Amino acid sequence: MKSFSYAKVATAEEAAGLLKQRNTRLIAGGTDLLGLMKERLIEPDRLVDVNGIAQLRGITATKENFRVGALTTLAELAAHQATPLIIKEALADAATPQLRNMATVGGNLVQRNRCWYFRSAEHRCWLKGGPRCLAVDGDNRYHAIYGEGECRQVTPSDLAPALIALDATVVMRTDEGEDSLPLAQLYVAPTARHRREHAVGDDDLILAVRIGGDALRRHATYLKFMERATWQFAVVSVAASARLVEGRAQDVRIVAGAVANIPWRVKAAEDLLAGEKIDDARALAVAERFVRDARPLRDNAYKVAVLRELVRRAVLRLKD
Amino acid sequence: MPEYRGPGPTPIKLDVNGESRLLLAEPRRTLLDALRYDLGLTGAKKVCDRGDCGACTVLVEGVAEYACLTLAVACECKHVETIEGGGADVEALQQAFLAHDAYQCGFCTPGQIMALAALLRRDGQAGEEQVKTAVAGNLCRCGAYPNIVTAGVAASRAKTSAKAK
Amino acid sequence: MPSARVVKNRTEFEGKIYEELALVQGADIPAWSADAELRHVGRSRLRVDGPQRVSGRARYTTDLMLPGMLHARVVRSPHPHARVIRVDAKRALALAGVRSVVDRTSAPELFDEEVHYVGAPVAVVVGETEEIAADAAHLVEIEYESLPFVVDLEEAIADRTRVQRKESYSRGDARRGFREADIVVDARYTTSTQLHNCLEPHGAVAQWDGERLTLWESTQAMFDVRKGVAKAIRARLDDVRVICDYMGGGFGSKLGHGHYSEIAAVLAKRLGRPIRCVMDRREENLVTGNRSATVQRVRVGATKDGKLTALEHVAWSGTGTEDGWVASTTGPSNGLYEVANVRSEQFLVLTNTGPFSAFRAPGYVEGTFALESAMDELADKLALDPLALRRKNYAKLDPQSGKHYSLKRLDQCYSRGAELAGWSRRKAGGTAGRHAYLRRGMGVSTQVWGGGGGPPAYATIHLNADGTAIVRAGLQDIGSGTKTAIAQIAAEELSLPLERVRLSIGETDAPYGPASGGSMTTASLGPAVRLAAVDVRRQLLEVAAGLMEVRASEIHLTDGHAVAGRGGKKLALDEVFSKLQNYTVIGRGSRHPNPEDVRLRSFGAHFAEVEVDIRTGAVRVLKIVAVHQIGRIVNPLNAKSQVEGGVTQALGYAVSEGRVLDRLSGHVMNANLEDYKIPTVKDVPDIVVEFVPDLDRRANNLGGIGLGEPPIIPTAAAIANAVANACGARVRTLPITPARVLEALRR
Ligand SMILES: Cc1cc2nc3c(=O)[nH]c(=O)nc-3n(C[C@H](O)[C@H](O)[C@H](O)COP(=O)(O)OP(=O)(O)OC[C@H]3O[C@@H](n4cnc5c(N)ncnc54)[C@H](O)[C@@H]3O)c2cc1C
Ligand code: SF4
Ligand code: FES
Ligand code: FES
Repeated sequence: MKSFSYAKVATAEEAAGLLKQRNTRLIAGGTDLLGLMKERLIEPDRLVDVNGIAQLRGITATKENFRVGALTTLAELAAHQATPLIIKEALADAATPQLRNMATVGGNLVQRNRCWYFRSAEHRCWLKGGPRCLAVDGDNRYHAIYGEGECRQVTPSDLAPALIALDATVVMRTDEGEDSLPLAQLYVAPTARHRREHAVGDDDLILAVRIGGDALRRHATYLKFMERATWQFAVVSVAASARLVEGRAQDVRIVAGAVANIPWRVKAAEDLLAGEKIDDARALAVAERFVRDARPLRDNAYKVAVLRELVRRAVLRLKD
Repeated sequence: MPEYRGPGPTPIKLDVNGESRLLLAEPRRTLLDALRYDLGLTGAKKVCDRGDCGACTVLVEGVAEYACLTLAVACECKHVETIEGGGADVEALQQAFLAHDAYQCGFCTPGQIMALAALLRRDGQAGEEQVKTAVAGNLCRCGAYPNIVTAGVAASRAKTSAKAK
Repeated sequence: MPSARVVKNRTEFEGKIYEELALVQGADIPAWSADAELRHVGRSRLRVDGPQRVSGRARYTTDLMLPGMLHARVVRSPHPHARVIRVDAKRALALAGVRSVVDRTSAPELFDEEVHYVGAPVAVVVGETEEIAADAAHLVEIEYESLPFVVDLEEAIADRTRVQRKESYSRGDARRGFREADIVVDARYTTSTQLHNCLEPHGAVAQWDGERLTLWESTQAMFDVRKGVAKAIRARLDDVRVICDYMGGGFGSKLGHGHYSEIAAVLAKRLGRPIRCVMDRREENLVTGNRSATVQRVRVGATKDGKLTALEHVAWSGTGTEDGWVASTTGPSNGLYEVANVRSEQFLVLTNTGPFSAFRAPGYVEGTFALESAMDELADKLALDPLALRRKNYAKLDPQSGKHYSLKRLDQCYSRGAELAGWSRRKAGGTAGRHAYLRRGMGVSTQVWGGGGGPPAYATIHLNADGTAIVRAGLQDIGSGTKTAIAQIAAEELSLPLERVRLSIGETDAPYGPASGGSMTTASLGPAVRLAAVDVRRQLLEVAAGLMEVRASEIHLTDGHAVAGRGGKKLALDEVFSKLQNYTVIGRGSRHPNPEDVRLRSFGAHFAEVEVDIRTGAVRVLKIVAVHQIGRIVNPLNAKSQVEGGVTQALGYAVSEGRVLDRLSGHVMNANLEDYKIPTVKDVPDIVVEFVPDLDRRANNLGGIGLGEPPIIPTAAAIANAVANACGARVRTLPITPARVLEALRR
């Protein structure tokens, strides 16, 4: 880790001011940032510690609105009694207990991907400004099974798919005050001009994440597939939610994590479920539709099978 | 406007095991390196230095964290506890680890014990599942896991029965 | 004083037999009989060094902070094969706090011109702190000329220049055996490179005092480190003292000195300050050894009723850049079953990857996976119970030497294991789980290994007037509980409470002791310690006899007392000590050779129960039953832990561990504990451990042999066999990942 200067701020305004400087990074829990810095993937000159900003802490919950401050740790979020079940499910196996004590919600949503070429200082891949993606011809057992574009890394967050399944919005700080946008819009596939997994700039500040009342009342569930019992980034994950009206599904969301470089939805699969009763046959049909357009790489065809099964099981669980 | 410290060495005041300690270190010094190099507290181990193994687990404000992914400078005004600090829960766990042979080489052991100390402090009575979850981020290459779980449960029981008395 | 003599001894170490000359003193004594009333040996005792280990007070090599100590960081090649053209350290040297940068020009003894794997050392930077050394390492500019390379094992096997035949074995006539077979299984198995990832990294701290070097090193073999380092730096053996007090795991990867030892020694001398050179986790995964990946072909022929007629096993092991030795993958095939016709060949295959090293039962783990998988494939074809097939080909005599075993109770391991596992519940084709997509199955596999130990190994015991006995031996305790076992043995003979026995170990100024490897530590050193204690006891009895005014032959030691005759006089040892005041009784013991007429081997059987999700390919191991036979168990508590540990490492090997190489860049992509997945607490199944109680009285004066390695040997095959039983998916490649299960199910 290269040396840097460090400042603690007490308000969002102070943070915003300092973050305008070149090569300055915001540090929250530090679990991803310090990992990147130790590997020398980024070498900021200055770190701005936002942990003193009281405004970014805490959870406020009413029937119609669930708001989580960006500095809330994953453990605090998981422990709160008003936290939707799907979020608790998503956090149960996210990282490890110690990391959940340290990692913040804001940091979790903008953490960088875990592609092993990306994480290796000695590989200059496309996302890091290199000429091409090294995963396409390399070992891509954990890479994307959907999506176009050069970069085939996958979304690492357990929280993001679960939140998107609840139509969460992020509240960002602007010079005028606050601005919110659907969380899903934060994630954009990297392009040659924007080699990043998301649209949050280094000087942006996430204030909170919000879930509305409609979504809070939906049935929702999260499933994560790992190759060992715990402590692994998702190999595949699925978040699903729906409103059940007389046993029929409405407002269906099925969001897959770790299968593409953005949280992945298949509209046609959701439509297959909308207005229908959930049963084995329907769940299977939805799952089949979800994976129909998957295009696995050389080493990851198994992820298609896993995804199909997770979608099927998640849909069935919406019944309860 | 807040002031920057560093990049060179800066005085850092830490509260470790109830003692106030002053050290001079760069902002990039991790809590783990500060404990081990600056304060001579080598109970917390450096195994991966990137949050993968749990050997560096310490308590910060009573909560289990990885010292390798924590900056020392960010811990000012916070209460840090290491295995050397002892205390009722840590000692009960140490006894249980001894009695149940919950370690082999012992290199992961301080981390395991601190992770469980946080659990004991938080949840009065912890069963097997809670114990397993508490050390899910603490790898043990010797494979002492079954005994670690037994020891964790035993220490938790001992604590609750002591309370009941 | 007993006289010394030179003897010839055959010792089995890491799957190979070595013949050595050794010096022994006096005469050996017989092992304790089965009905001997022992107070320490054979009883569960808490580890004598436990309080240090659980309190964080134990000082491991990495914890050593010497005044004035500098930190060395190795600059490593990013190329799998290259020539180092130029090293420019100007920028690194300009950094404040950097004390030295050396490369091939300034320290030719430390570096080669050509690098043969990613991670090979090219330069070393020494700085005042770890961070400074790391900063400077990034500033060293190196120009390489890259050269062609191969990292993939299969690709290397196809290139004859990279393949060497290292071992071949045959008995009978395999060709004829296959002609006689009604059924032949012919299968190809592959296994991945397993990385040790002992939690304490490899490393050394060196400090010179004039011509004398003290080297603290995390090692399993202090004496080998001393020999290796002395040779490398051209020092006299007696000028090098190696210390290893507490040690955080080695699993075979710390049996010799490392490049870091040489770096620390050489640079500490040059700079006149102590140097610490400790690997980080990435280096652990690149340069400190590994279990070879293998490609194996096993052919087994049998008659319709399951009698083996021929067995052929050919193994190719990727040793990275290690071209000296290779592990004996074919060992289990050569020696486990009674089959008249056997042919095996062991090849070493060079690739541009980090050198392999011993890893807990090297070769036998890989080979047993292949052999015992093939046995199950054969049982399937014959529609025989897998256990029945193994019993049918049970070797009563050692098939290789024709000798009797000193002890073989594999049949009991099978039957007791079957009982504990509920083997009668096993159904061909598996059983149903909670959901339609969950299938359950059971599998069995067999373990054979050496671990008899042998000379040379020596100990002295000083019994002091304060009533404590100090055992002095050149021993390191790597977490296996050796210290405790040694203390128990000494306490037993001296009739002392365990707390009165102290150990002075962990450095090479002590009497020579064996490496902590090959499952042979206790079996080698224990008998020497016992003899040293017997020697002390003899002298003590003479003293007591004098004080009691009886003949020494009339008294014996019990319970801390010298007792004369039947119900006669009693004298507390404490009283003897207090009368003597300043006095030390010194006893000596050495390890005597192994018996020539029998073969010493340990046996065991593992039974696995698994659940397979046939839609996702996920394998959950529910239960492992491990029954082992090693003769006397000195400390049942530690022994059980040893088995659980071995099973857990084997579990990782079976289902989740494996080095991932990028074929294009030659890099290890998972050189960390995130992507290299060792089991977590939640992965570990219910592990049921049992030992066959019979003693191995021919083996040595303890009546038992080593246990360090046996428990890792059979598990992977038991799991693979259970998976095949559960759902019909025969996975012939380790680890058994979801991807591979799904692929096997499609076949
Ligand atoms: C070993 C390991 C295992 C993990 N396993 C999982 C897992 O299984 N599932 C999972 O979901 N995650 C996992 N993670 C990721 C972990 O959850 C994230 O690292 C963590 O949530 C990041 O939060 P942080 O507060 O530590 O962020 P930091 O490391 O402090 O910051 C990360 C990034 O976010 C930016 N940032 C932080 N807060 C804000 C804000 N309020 N506004 C704008 N930008 C901000 C920072 O500038 C930085 O760029 C794992 C991480 C590690 C190290
Ligand atoms: S997938 Fe993306 S991050 Fe990974 S190598 Fe390709 S471009 Fe780089
Ligand atoms: S050293 Fe901190 S988690 Fe491994
Ligand atoms: S006891 Fe050795 S790593 Fe856990």
